[in-house]
Amino acid sequence: MGAAARPGAALVMWEGNMNEHFFEDLKRVFLDNGGFTLMLKGVGNTVIIALSAVVIGVVLGSVCAIIKVSDGKSVPVKIAKAVVGVYITVIRGTPLMVQLLFTYFGVFATAMRGNPHKAILIAVLVFGVNSGAYVAEIIRSGILAVDAGQMEAGRSLGLSHRTTMLRIVLPQAVKNIIPALGNEFIMLIKDSSVASAITVVEMTKRAQSLVSKFYVALPIYAVLALLYLALTSLAAEGMKLIEKRMRRSDRR
Amino acid sequence: MIDVKDLHKSYGETEVLRGIDYTIEKGDRIVVVGPSGSGKSTFLRCLNLLETPSSGEIRFEGTLITDKKTNIDQVRRHMGMVFQQFNLFNNLNVMDNITFAPVKTGKYTREEARERALSLLRRVGLEDKADAYPSRLSGGQKQRIAIVRALAMDPDVMLFDEPTSALDPEMVGEVLDVMTDLADNGMTMVVVTHEMGFARHVGTNVLFMDEGKSLEAAPPEAFFENPQSPRLKTFLSKVLRH
Repeated sequence: MGAAARPGAALVMWEGNMNEHFFEDLKRVFLDNGGFTLMLKGVGNTVIIALSAVVIGVVLGSVCAIIKVSDGKSVPVKIAKAVVGVYITVIRGTPLMVQLLFTYFGVFATAMRGNPHKAILIAVLVFGVNSGAYVAEIIRSGILAVDAGQMEAGRSLGLSHRTTMLRIVLPQAVKNIIPALGNEFIMLIKDSSVASAITVVEMTKRAQSLVSKFYVALPIYAVLALLYLALTSLAAEGMKLIEKRMRRSDRR
Repeated sequence: MIDVKDLHKSYGETEVLRGIDYTIEKGDRIVVVGPSGSGKSTFLRCLNLLETPSSGEIRFEGTLITDKKTNIDQVRRHMGMVFQQFNLFNNLNVMDNITFAPVKTGKYTREEARERALSLLRRVGLEDKADAYPSRLSGGQKQRIAIVRALAMDPDVMLFDEPTSALDPEMVGEVLDVMTDLADNGMTMVVVTHEMGFARHVGTNVLFMDEGKSLEAAPPEAFFENPQSPRLKTFLSKVLRH
């Protein structure tokens, strides 16, 4: 099957007649040979990476943002602020691909040997930690966008910085944060394709395997692109719904 | 009640307060006036440490609040503040705006706080707004609620930072009425304002600030009828011309 059945398929592409066998190849790869099921399995890993990364990112990012905007001047707070600063600088200043390779082939080179889920676990970890740095900045700027008078009013009543932050400022900052978080989630869906570099079999890796198996690229990568587009559109629609609901509660 | 000694405040190179000494007694109603940039708002905001003085001492009811070891949150629970921009909590309705701090700090139970809030709202004529959110209120209503919110902590002194400066002219009266009512009930007040009528009729003492210093302080009659410094004379001739 595969390449053996149609040895000329790859050549046709190079000759520029890309469209000649497009639908024929599409049918052959995805319907007749189970390619579609395989791709859908890849969708699962893509969604797992993006979703868990955004959850880790939000938790990590919230903690970092709160540390960054805290008014504490004690030594532990200063140390925490410095650590968060280095974390954000390093993550935002190095490519995601390098972070993946560094963690998978470097830090955890010998760990979890034989664990079939090693690659995806490390991908979730790296994507989460990576996202945390960006989310921290999203949340921090969301907090800073809330009028400083809200904090002053809280403090003038004898409330602590912490109470005012948690109960007054943060609830208002969420409005500024949610749309940017939606963008972050969409970025994660797309960036998760990089996980194929550390052997995670997500959508892009599936597509690459199909290409090398059937020796046709265009229909497979077209389907891959459409799948990403479907996922990101779905995420964008979801975000729109959430924003709409928040705006409604805003008018009250 | 409040004792200010040699208060200085600088932002970088700019010296905003250049040595202020002032004493506020219980029952005083100090009105602080002066040209913009004279440091009067900064002075007021130093009194509850919303601005950290660069040097000098502030004592409140005997406590040295400029001491870093003083728990400023505790002190602030006895000092109400009203802002130019109202600063109502936008995410809370009027009732929660008023009761949040007293309940959170354990000053009153939820039921006590609600009851007090309702009676204070009645006093300012806004009892029907308890469930409204700030975005639904006019500027004058917001400021009256902001005053109620500060009063709900049962403060010993009320600080007003240009409370009518952000209001449409027809709303100034309703806020000044509430402040006058407070004054009539014996509240100690420090008011930064441009409302000379309020200074004249409600103040027990008027303080003139210019370029970070207190230039002149006197009871209203003397202050307005018999100003001493040439700077104050010029200022009054400008603001009282109309």
